[in-house]
Amino acid sequence: MRESQNPYILEMRNIFKSFGGVNALRDVSFQCRPGTVHALVGENGAGKSTLIKILAGALLPDSGEIIFKGQKHQSFSTRKALNSGISVIYQELALVSQMTVAENIFLGREPRKYFGIVDKKRLKIEAKKLLKQLGFEVDMDMEVGEMTVAYQQMVEIAKALSKNADLIIMDEPSAILAGHELDQLFLIIESLKKRGVTIIYISHRLEEVFRIANEVTILKDGQLVGTKPIKDLSRGELVKMMVGRTLEEVFPVSFNQLGNPVIQVEEISTKTILNQVSFNLREGEILGVAGMVGSGRTELARAIFGADPLTSGTIKIKGQDVVFKNPADAIRSKISLVPEDRKYHGLFTKLSILNNITLPILSKISRWGFTDKKKENEIVERERQIHSIDMTSGNQEVQYLSGGNQQKVVLSKSLQTIPEVIIMDEPTRGVDVGAKFEIYQLIRQLNKDGIAILMISSELPEILGLSDRILVMREGKIVAELTPNETNEEMIIEFATTNTQQSVP
Amino acid sequence: MKRSFFQKHAIILIVYALILVLVVIGAFNSEHFLTLRNLTNVMRQAAYLGTAALGEMMVILIAGIDLSVGSLVKLCVLVSAILMDGDPDNVWMAVSLTLGLGLSVGLIHAFLINELNMSPFVVTFASLFILKGISLSITTKPIGRASRDFLMLYSEKIAGIYVIIFFFIILILMMMFLLNKTIFGKHIYAIGGNLSVAQLSGISVKRVRYGVYSLCSVLAAATGLLWLMRMGVGDPVIGNGLELNVIIAVVIGGTSLFGGRGTVIGVLGGVLLLTFTDNLLVILGVSQFYSGLIKGLIFVAAVSLHKMENR
Ligand SMILES: Nc1ncnc2c1ncn2[C@@H]1O[C@H](COP(=O)(O)OP(=O)(O)OP(=O)(O)O)[C@@H](O)[C@H]1O
Ligand SMILES: [Mg+2]
Repeated sequence: MRESQNPYILEMRNIFKSFGGVNALRDVSFQCRPGTVHALVGENGAGKSTLIKILAGALLPDSGEIIFKGQKHQSFSTRKALNSGISVIYQELALVSQMTVAENIFLGREPRKYFGIVDKKRLKIEAKKLLKQLGFEVDMDMEVGEMTVAYQQMVEIAKALSKNADLIIMDEPSAILAGHELDQLFLIIESLKKRGVTIIYISHRLEEVFRIANEVTILKDGQLVGTKPIKDLSRGELVKMMVGRTLEEVFPVSFNQLGNPVIQVEEISTKTILNQVSFNLREGEILGVAGMVGSGRTELARAIFGADPLTSGTIKIKGQDVVFKNPADAIRSKISLVPEDRKYHGLFTKLSILNNITLPILSKISRWGFTDKKKENEIVERERQIHSIDMTSGNQEVQYLSGGNQQKVVLSKSLQTIPEVIIMDEPTRGVDVGAKFEIYQLIRQLNKDGIAILMISSELPEILGLSDRILVMREGKIVAELTPNETNEEMIIEFATTNTQQSVP
Repeated sequence: MKRSFFQKHAIILIVYALILVLVVIGAFNSEHFLTLRNLTNVMRQAAYLGTAALGEMMVILIAGIDLSVGSLVKLCVLVSAILMDGDPDNVWMAVSLTLGLGLSVGLIHAFLINELNMSPFVVTFASLFILKGISLSITTKPIGRASRDFLMLYSEKIAGIYVIIFFFIILILMMMFLLNKTIFGKHIYAIGGNLSVAQLSGISVKRVRYGVYSLCSVLAAATGLLWLMRMGVGDPVIGNGLELNVIIAVVIGGTSLFGGRGTVIGVLGGVLLLTFTDNLLVILGVSQFYSGLIKGLIFVAAVSLHKMENR
């Protein structure tokens, strides 16, 4: 074949990859045209991340070949991939938390003066320019570990842009972005496309795929289902190709049986951003919290959970004043938190699924300090079924699960203590369409059992579809309280971004 | 969100405050303590510990460890003393061969860690015994001799400062430059901060490890040379237990044992704190046996402070 007439910038041919017994990829081939956005979709564990890790040189394929810009490669090293013009935004953020924003953006490619001396001035200026392009202004000297994940994601995107690559791979870059940031990301993708850059875009939000992609490749269980121009597909057809069956994307209906307030939050403030926040959460209620990144939603969750101290205000549980000095106090009061960043706060990634799930209830299932192996296995098996976790066994280390399956383990773990209140921070982040609706069902079910749920989410369809009531936050305050059937996405975004304030009852 | 200067540098500030406390205690209890003579002595001693500690610091910054420092210092004292053999014509040869010995040991460490995937703990723990074994098979009694002019360097001054202190100051400045200004330095912090991210960013982790372990061992060899300068002979007791003092100094100075965090100024503080403690014990006539106890306590305090700082 004459490679010079190749209409593709990238071809991956017959890629195989297995991890121990797991066949992550079986004979996957696909091609990308230059200057297009190529979406890669599939359920959790379908092999999307594995495929792009091979492309980025982070993993070696068992067999198969990569042809990039007419050059054939058996495999890449990360260096080789970078040098030939491929840059990646990984699903799990790849930043060094102790280093500053600017240092992270140029890690491995620091601008230099002479003799390997870093040109710090240029480093900062360039980094600032990139972030400004993304509509972000942050302190370049800030350590990345001190920023929220959404900011970190923008740093990650800036890092990928800075490499002036011909192919940019984005593995769920939008999972933690909403509204303004998302629009910004799409604008950037558009302009990259115009410059002839090719983009491989992985996302579980299909509306995004329809909005920006030219072509879509679907993977299922490590195998190729097909590649299609996006305009030839309807949403239903795409979903069917992904999950192998038709899926009714309907939100489970509300039971609308609200009881007494479980939590009453009265004018709480924190050192960070929260400013006089008040609301009630009632038995059997799902209270959705919408807002932009940095609006204080995560801080609200942390404050209620006792992770950050209050500077003023009170919290009442079932009418009684409580002061949580730490999360353990909150857990004792039957509050549970599903944190936003599963890798750092939600999971012990190097422990097994079993150990993660049973950790909160070890004392309950052990005798004389010995854990009951049989009981543990039963629990894990039960959880696997309830949440349809895709795993080989309970002893599998969590770090080897796909992103969406990790999220299911987090949920399962936080439910073990049988809480009365669950605070969920982005509960379906990185979860595939099928599993998302399973999680919605689960949330509804919990709700039916009388558990009160505070659900923070950037996914407006989920906020609108699931909540009994919606709070919108902006700059550390609650700016609106809305009822789902009297509002819509535009209205929520409006409240979340502009300065109008609705009177809060 | 941003932590304040005080939060960020709590340990370092506390370490220097403690040094100040020691100085005050010393000044009140002995008229000898605050003399120029004693203070320059302390500084010279600090240079011994500090030279080795700055090397160890780099290794710990990449989340490694080098336990062989003490044994390597011992071997280098012996080797340099034997090579010099009291002959001024041998000085350059002895110095360069000794530093070369350090370099080779460091390269071997890095090779085993990089290419055979062995843990730094295992590699350098083995090395501790091997190097000590070689030293003790060479001699159990003082051996060799420094040449006269090499020995004289110990009490010589440049611009009114002892040569050894002068050397130490230059070394500190160089290390600060290396860690803060160079790409090599940035990569050291990145590797210690998050190894997989460093790899994904295309940083050659292996190359950085070769650099760091060799530098650590070369500085240990240099420490051996400084000892020869002081003792005049190759004494095989030199270097006993030094690795622990070195690691303690590095950690007291705020360097995280998990890598990725630490500053030269902090490590200097750790070195000075240990040196002042020893000096004060001598001056106050307290038994040396308490030295270990006190250092152990300081060590625990430093690590627990570290934990609080990172909460
Ligand atoms: N290092 C590893 N060791 C063992 N198994 C692995 C490893 N990495 C991935 N796997 C397995 O390979 C399969 C594909 O995983 P991959 O991460 O590529 O899925 P994905 O399509 O990216 O899913 P998600 O949408 O949840 O991110 C999964 O079954 C996963 O458990
Ligand atoms: Mg993935």
